[in-house]
Amino acid sequence: MKNRFLNLKTLSLACTALLLTVSCSDDPDSPVIEEEKEDSSRWITVAAARMGDNPGDGNGGTLIYSISSDDAKAPSVSIEPFDNGFIVPSNRTARLQASEDGSTIFNISYAGDTGGNYSKYTVNGGQNFVQTGTGVSIAEYVGTAPRWIKLFDGDNTGAAVYVSTVNEVDDNGTPNDLLDDTYFRTDATIGVVTLDLVNSTINNFEEHNIALSPELEAQGYYIGRIDMPTLNAAGDKLYIGASIRKVDPATTERESDFERLGSQTIVLDYPSLLNPTVIASSVGYGDTNGYRSINAFEYNGSVYQANQNDPEGSRILKIGANNQYDDSYDFNLDEALGVQDAYILAWRPAANGKGVLAYRHAGSVEGAAGAQGFFALIDLNAQTATKIDAIPYEPDFYLFQYQGFAVDGTEIFVTQAPVGKNGNIYAIETETGEVTKGAELVNVEGSHYIGTF
Amino acid sequence: MKTYLTSIFLLLFSLFGYSQNGHLYGEIAFNNDEPVLGAQVVLRGGNIERMTSSGIDGEFAFKNLPYGTYTIETHSLEAKPHTIEAEINAVEQTLKYVLEITEFQDLDEVHLRTKTQKEKIEDEGFAVNVIETKEVSQRNIQTTELLNTTVGVKIRQNGGLGSQAQFSLNGLSGSAVRIFIDGIPISIYGSSFSVNSIPTSMIKRIEVYKGVVPGYLADDALGGAINIVMHKGTKSNFNASVSFGSFNTIQASVNGLYRFDDSGFTVKASIFNNYSDNNYKVWGRSVVDKGLGGVQTPIVARRFNDAYRSTGGMFQVGYTNVKWADQFFIGVTGSDDFKEVQHGTFMTTTPYKDRFLESDALLANLTYQKKDLFTKGLDVNINGAFGKRNRNVNDTVAKAYSWTGEPAIDFKGDEYDYSWGSQQEGGPTLATIKRNVASIRTGVSYGINRHHKFVFNHFYSGIDREDSDALKSLLENTFVGTRDLDKNILSLTYELNAFNNKLKANLFGKYYQQKTVNIDPFINSSTGQLEDDVTSANNKDEGYGFAISYALTPTISILTSAEKAVRLPDEIEVFGNDGDNVIANPSINPESSENFNLGFRFGAFRIKKHAFTISTNLFTRNIKDRIGLPIETSLNVNDETIFYENQGSGTSKGYEASLDYSYNNNFKFNFNISQFELKIVNRGVEIDVPNTPFDTMNAGLSYGFSDLFQKNTRLNLYYNLYYTGEFSYIVPQGSNTVGDDFFKVPEQLAQDFGLSYSFPNEKVVMSFDIKNIFDKPVYDNLSIQKPGRAFYLKLNYFINKF
Repeated sequence: MKNRFLNLKTLSLACTALLLTVSCSDDPDSPVIEEEKEDSSRWITVAAARMGDNPGDGNGGTLIYSISSDDAKAPSVSIEPFDNGFIVPSNRTARLQASEDGSTIFNISYAGDTGGNYSKYTVNGGQNFVQTGTGVSIAEYVGTAPRWIKLFDGDNTGAAVYVSTVNEVDDNGTPNDLLDDTYFRTDATIGVVTLDLVNSTINNFEEHNIALSPELEAQGYYIGRIDMPTLNAAGDKLYIGASIRKVDPATTERESDFERLGSQTIVLDYPSLLNPTVIASSVGYGDTNGYRSINAFEYNGSVYQANQNDPEGSRILKIGANNQYDDSYDFNLDEALGVQDAYILAWRPAANGKGVLAYRHAGSVEGAAGAQGFFALIDLNAQTATKIDAIPYEPDFYLFQYQGFAVDGTEIFVTQAPVGKNGNIYAIETETGEVTKGAELVNVEGSHYIGTF
Repeated sequence: MKTYLTSIFLLLFSLFGYSQNGHLYGEIAFNNDEPVLGAQVVLRGGNIERMTSSGIDGEFAFKNLPYGTYTIETHSLEAKPHTIEAEINAVEQTLKYVLEITEFQDLDEVHLRTKTQKEKIEDEGFAVNVIETKEVSQRNIQTTELLNTTVGVKIRQNGGLGSQAQFSLNGLSGSAVRIFIDGIPISIYGSSFSVNSIPTSMIKRIEVYKGVVPGYLADDALGGAINIVMHKGTKSNFNASVSFGSFNTIQASVNGLYRFDDSGFTVKASIFNNYSDNNYKVWGRSVVDKGLGGVQTPIVARRFNDAYRSTGGMFQVGYTNVKWADQFFIGVTGSDDFKEVQHGTFMTTTPYKDRFLESDALLANLTYQKKDLFTKGLDVNINGAFGKRNRNVNDTVAKAYSWTGEPAIDFKGDEYDYSWGSQQEGGPTLATIKRNVASIRTGVSYGINRHHKFVFNHFYSGIDREDSDALKSLLENTFVGTRDLDKNILSLTYELNAFNNKLKANLFGKYYQQKTVNIDPFINSSTGQLEDDVTSANNKDEGYGFAISYALTPTISILTSAEKAVRLPDEIEVFGNDGDNVIANPSINPESSENFNLGFRFGAFRIKKHAFTISTNLFTRNIKDRIGLPIETSLNVNDETIFYENQGSGTSKGYEASLDYSYNNNFKFNFNISQFELKIVNRGVEIDVPNTPFDTMNAGLSYGFSDLFQKNTRLNLYYNLYYTGEFSYIVPQGSNTVGDDFFKVPEQLAQDFGLSYSFPNEKVVMSFDIKNIFDKPVYDNLSIQKPGRAFYLKLNYFINKF
């Protein structure tokens, strides 16, 4: 009996110890990482996208970290945004915008409880981003996953858009008879909101029903997705990129393989956001709504707009000062780069009409997260594009989610890091094509970098 | 696993070789089917007089008896004395008989017997918790709350009464966890008859099997199963209860059973009604009122579109304890619910108004149970239900509302409508899903003798669904494809009981077969007629496992179990979803997982009036071929060619432990803790799964006073504490990042207090509960606040004798 009691005591002690094992978090307060900047230099904010479930999905958080443009160009500098960065409050990959001088970062939270909330941060270097201004949300106008862009009007205005569609069917007065029902069109209702970035208030909001021609509508064509609002040079029209979709009129089911229309853009009066019209290109046949980075830019009085999913390869299209497509301008990337199925993932011209373009093509290797990406140096006037060979391209170099190109005069900064591998910032002098390898970007497993701001 | 199997079989053969002359094995049950524990059994005959007492299963044995005739007298506190004659003329003689329960029983003894049932299941070697509802059914406690305090179980709810709940067992959740009512999947009843709505008074007990699921509950449950066992008693009884509480919560239920003792004809009925406004207070970063220009003012708001009502009932007629059946019932189950929806997946700055869900179900059910059918040891158990269930989503109001509950104003100061024409983005809807559902489970077991038993189980479940939306044209509704799913699961179990009940082993194999059918209407271009394009996919797989318990000493047991578990792809994973542009992948493989549990139980140790038990379980789950969607890339973002695929592996490992202590059977303390880590590997990269509560602890205290204000009364006091550790909505970040707090789901610590008072005649029990005494903000999910402090009062009325 005595023996048994001893056993019991030992056992119960052991068990109590087990029961009381509660995990302790070892979270010593680390010092704030600081970065410094000379007055002659500007901040370059690097954006990094952490892996969520899958390598390269970028769903594990968007982190930003700022260094001076001098440091950005110094290969001796090494930065670790994944360890030391600021996590932008956005449930899915944040869509970031920066002021032209790089001193302010603008964000509208994408999805989640704060989806649609606008916030801005003063860039103080390193992980130090100070939120300024009051909160405002555009969720009630364009949803909690808004597609928004900062307009090029001196960092004053942001614009976001939304489209919802509904099929219109004529039941011929017999709601229960299927065979005499006819589809006649899909109605697209768009919402456009403009946001005062300085005072954090809503400027304007308008809704419109957007129609294509009756012939196209009868075939099932409609505007299914819109994005990338861009101001024209005169500042009196807003262009909105569009993706054309199609249903089968016989069944109202969406089709995936259909004859593509000329690239379309919605044009609104600005700032009233009234009088919508749709313009179409007879040169390009792809979508003009881009993905996550700005897809259209004003240069020299015209707006240059990239398209995607063009059967002949991506193009840069031109919308002239008359607010119509200039079909005499045909800048085809397949031809300019000498590749097949070029696809513009992101791009950005400097003020000189020369810029950097991220693309993939039929020859891209299928890497960890998707098709391998490349950078090219382009010239909007000469309609030339040249792959930048000074940047290393690995199969896992993935640019689909690429968002930002910081522009400092004629110099453009890009991030280069394959999924899960370290890389570098590269500064490209667009005038000369000279490429400077800059600061090292330390990566973590499954993650990648999505640009500079 | 193979080595385990070999050793089991070796053990089995050694047992067959062990026998001698004249053993008598007896088994005693009460006339309500419960085994008789601790009855005194006296055997007399010739010169022999021996005495023993019956064990947990009502079993007893007299060994090495000379052939001859004996008289056996049985005395139990709870039954009338019983005498029977038995003749020993074989090496092994078995004897089964029934004791008639006496009229005077006090409640404590009934309680003791039900606890035996609990221990019996927990002794089989599975990682199982058996939750008894007898005591809590008198209190203001929901079934979900009860499950949530069970070790290893975590329920995450999106709000108050009736809100959407997600179950997790040792870290596996979603479709990895299957929930049953008496072995029938709860999903066939829909949301109107669910863990959220069934009153605890209709439930006898809940069995929670973690990782390894016995053959009699076979389904494609990758992570475990929860079985809600309804009352099966055959004694006439009636009880009614009504509860009132905060947020205008009213819950009422009535249960009754009447048995005509002469014919055995039995009528059973239960009805319930639950209602709550769920208008509890919320605050936080998204609870704002918006003014001119969209300027936001944080407010404390009451939820204003969150009411919930569920009504349902069950009516059964049949026979009990008759020659041809222990239980035979046919009946109907009907239910109906209504749930307003205050917000989507998250609490945003744009709360919903007048969006609601409705569902109803009407099913016929059949129950047949018979022990010793045709021959001794052959038990048959059939449970089935079939019928229809419907679900509607209603969202047609375009007007925007503020968290104040009033119409919201836009930046210009005007009331406005959402451009998408509904509360939730995506447009107005009156979507209806109609389902025909059927499920039947058949179990046949044959006990060769006290040591060996075989159990065969067949489970069928079928669903066909039809979707439509009254706001869409016939043309659009017609061409929405429909999906049927039929599932058959067979299992064979061998149960071994050896070394005087010290060793219990359970070996099982499961065979899974599932057929999914896709029906896509089209107009035949040559005939102009509507035709169906029918495609189908068939998935088959096998699984197997075991559970072993071994009692090293009467107070120390090892419980170990393992299973290769399977989850078959559901119809969306096979056929995709037109609306989400996901196409079919008929060659997709099932998910599978190797699950292991190793548990110890120490106790119950009794030292004077102290008694305590400690249980622990260590577990691992190794999941393969996880089913998921590929990531969005430039290649698939604009086309419709994505499909579900088998992606990678995952592991969950951790431990759980619980301590139960009681003093004088009156002061009780229990504590449990569960911790685990959950990782997945996709394309060779391992990550910690975010948005998962890894640490949970629960503690409870109770104390009873007898004869406090009057004679024959009892006052019980209860205190409970619930803790869930902080976790992050997104994957773990770097060591020195800032801004992490935005994604944190803060630590939850809630404390409840309750008391119940039973009046002298034991016909009335009144209980009072305060939940979340300190009014702490509690969150299961990012930013979705659950109710604060709440008060509930409940009255129960019982009649046990007619």
